Amino acid sequence: MTQLIKTLIFIILISLHSLAKAIEVIDILGGKAGEIAIAVLPFEGDGSEKDIKFNEIVKADLERSGFFRAIKTDGINNIPKDIKDIDYSYWTALKAELAIVGKVEKNDTQVKVTWDLVDIFKQKLITTMEYVGNPSQGRLIGHRISNLVYEKVTGTPGVFHTKIGYVKKFDDKKYTLNISDLDGFNAKAVVTSTQPIISTRWSPDGKKIAYVSFEKKKPVIFVQDLSTGERKLVANFKGNNSAPAWSPDSKQLALVLTYNEFSQIYVMNADGSDIKRLMRSRYIDTEPAWAPDGQSIYFTSDRGGGPQIYNINLDDKEIKRITFEGKYNVSPRLTPDGKFMTFITQEGGKLKVAAQNLKSNQVLKLTKGPNDESPVFAPNGHMVLFTLKNSGNTSKIGTVSLNGFKFVPIEVGANLIQEPTWSPFDF
Amino acid sequence: MKKKILLTALVALLFAGCSSTPINDAPAPSAAAGSGNEGLDLDLLRSDSLLTQRSIYFDFNKYEVKAEYQDIVNAHAKYIADHPNAKATLKGHADYHGSHEYNLALGQKRSVSVKDVMNLKGASDSQIETVSFGEEEANQNCQGSQCDKDRRVDISYDVE
Amino acid sequence: MFRIADLESSIDTQSNLFTLIIHLSLILFMAFTIQWKPKNPYFAEVELWEAIPTKTAENQMTPIKELDVEKQVTKKEIVKEIPKQADVDAEIILKKKKEKIKKLQEELLKQEQIKQLQERLLNEEKSKRIEKEKLEKLQEMLRSEEVNQKSDRIAIQADKDVEAGVNSGELDKYKALIQQKIQQNVNNNLCGTDYISLDFEIKLLPSGELLSDPVLKKSSKNPSCDEAVERAIFISEPLPVPTDPKLFAKLKQLRLKFYPNGQPE
Repeated sequence: MTQLIKTLIFIILISLHSLAKAIEVIDILGGKAGEIAIAVLPFEGDGSEKDIKFNEIVKADLERSGFFRAIKTDGINNIPKDIKDIDYSYWTALKAELAIVGKVEKNDTQVKVTWDLVDIFKQKLITTMEYVGNPSQGRLIGHRISNLVYEKVTGTPGVFHTKIGYVKKFDDKKYTLNISDLDGFNAKAVVTSTQPIISTRWSPDGKKIAYVSFEKKKPVIFVQDLSTGERKLVANFKGNNSAPAWSPDSKQLALVLTYNEFSQIYVMNADGSDIKRLMRSRYIDTEPAWAPDGQSIYFTSDRGGGPQIYNINLDDKEIKRITFEGKYNVSPRLTPDGKFMTFITQEGGKLKVAAQNLKSNQVLKLTKGPNDESPVFAPNGHMVLFTLKNSGNTSKIGTVSLNGFKFVPIEVGANLIQEPTWSPFDF
Repeated sequence: MKKKILLTALVALLFAGCSSTPINDAPAPSAAAGSGNEGLDLDLLRSDSLLTQRSIYFDFNKYEVKAEYQDIVNAHAKYIADHPNAKATLKGHADYHGSHEYNLALGQKRSVSVKDVMNLKGASDSQIETVSFGEEEANQNCQGSQCDKDRRVDISYDVE
Repeated sequence: MFRIADLESSIDTQSNLFTLIIHLSLILFMAFTIQWKPKNPYFAEVELWEAIPTKTAENQMTPIKELDVEKQVTKKEIVKEIPKQADVDAEIILKKKKEKIKKLQEELLKQEQIKQLQERLLNEEKSKRIEKEKLEKLQEMLRSEEVNQKSDRIAIQADKDVEAGVNSGELDKYKALIQQKIQQNVNNNLCGTDYISLDFEIKLLPSGELLSDPVLKKSSKNPSCDEAVERAIFISEPLPVPTDPKLFAKLKQLRLKFYPNGQPE
């Protein structure tokens, strides 16, 4: 019998060997940075003015990020308001990959918004939510929808509900420090002065804003409580006081003092007490920026001949050079995970916003200039907010996506808008 | 024992005196001219061909005092050295190109650079204050050589 | 016995399947009908008869005969038609093979019944003689099956020769078309900057559309990137596929290996 079994197995194996066939494999290398086509349909019952319709708020938010492209939804009959109303073949023909549909119920005391995010290819629901708020919170609800859609698709929390600060210069020698929504709505002044204000910095705990004012005929540093409006003069030492930078725990400020010498970096408590010199050099050291892990500080220095960015370890005081391309690199700021740095670099005589991967040291220019300045990352590190000066005539602020592909201005008026800062996620 | 305590106390006092904690309040650069204008020779300040020139100009991103301005700086340095009551402020500026903070530092470096030249000619630090306004007073609309005049140090005297 | 070498060359699934079934059925046939070792070689069995046994129906011979006839017929056909259009007739050959397989399965059933009949026979000599006869028939069958296998192979080889220059080139061409179409739709914005890779398996309809959702076989570890690449596959529908069914058969299931940020130099 064993003879039979052996032969049997042998034959089966041979036969199977000739039968076994791998399926064809195709290698697909590379891709390009594109935008996901999303249909953000008008919500049923949304009687708002065009600009403040929920779907318009969400469309503008998602398009600002650079990850999404909104499909035109004007002139469509029978707008679906629920996932079960969706005609998938229609939206596939329009090349939509995702869709948002929703309903609004509004009365005098509250507004309720129910919405669905739908995968058009797989014809299934990705997420559905209901938001309730008072009627004045309409825009915030819109931003929350954008945030959740963003998070579901990219895996990163959205920042569309966050706030920004910026300095506005009027013609008659009047300067204000304003706070507004990321998209420029709901702007209000928190400081008004006849002298310049620069270097605005929102604290990581969201409660305060530090800034440099020239109201004492020289630069001095204030810290202002955003909820009470109370301000405290925390640095008025001999010479200049400028470039305040919050530690990640909001308890300390790095700053720059001069004392009849070149600009040098110091560290003190956020209330102005216990000031210590960080390092000593015969050069310009300025623009400190804390690493998010609190272990080191990035700064600008001309110790190498021209302005470049360096890093000092707070423990052993070891200094490393960070930027090596070009002759002018200033204004370092870090992503919350510490992996990327944004800064201003000079290329071809133009000042551009750049981003550097701190592990690979690869540098990407995000803007074209000619006079861009003051870059700061979004709290999720996906966008950079900065100032554009157009031939000195006007200056305005806007955001650019981290890959440099999508720039969107922030409309806050026609005056000179500069020196922006970004709130954290919670404030 | 007592001697030791006294010694320790003396040493402590010495160190306290050498502490690097800066003084908290700073007077605004334009202080009142206290003890009168004696010995300040204001006519000289207002008439001398060199002393009436109050601005030193710099090349883009540079802070060294150029040869053509050495005479002016020296003249002011001599004036300060000759008039111990004189108090001068050197206010540095930069054009609008580049970051506000770096321009503040650049303006400062320029005013310090002028001060250093003055020190060589005998003007003492106690009579000179250096500050910077960076690009904050610069012409934001300037093109090309129009921006040259924003890169400067202005010399002013408290008495004026 | 039968040549093992014959089993090694195979051209397509049907012929392989046919081969496998032939052999399995043969094995089963042999297992069930032939006593590989005599049960009691040293003891003779004696049957006590009360009367002279009548001749039992020798049905077991018939099936083999039929098979023989069948094979001979097709063998003739094949030999005749090779010089003509081997292509079209490959289809006929395959169809006939299918019929053969079906017939074989029917035979297997019959073999079961024969086995039961067998057990009734107690006469050893008779069984021996039957076995001997069976062996001879089996060998004959195998010989003719060998010949048939050979001629089948010739037919299929001719088939292959005709398409040879065209077939593998065509396959590569369609693979390249599919690769190009999908690659231009890959949006790597959500895939970071590292050299990651991910694999999807897809099943296609002859129209080039997906039969079902792509199946993620290996994740990039970044779900947003996996989803973005899956969308690229959907956007690329319908994929360019050949109309020729044999060629399409090779492409209807594919494994797609993606490297959204390329590969290091």
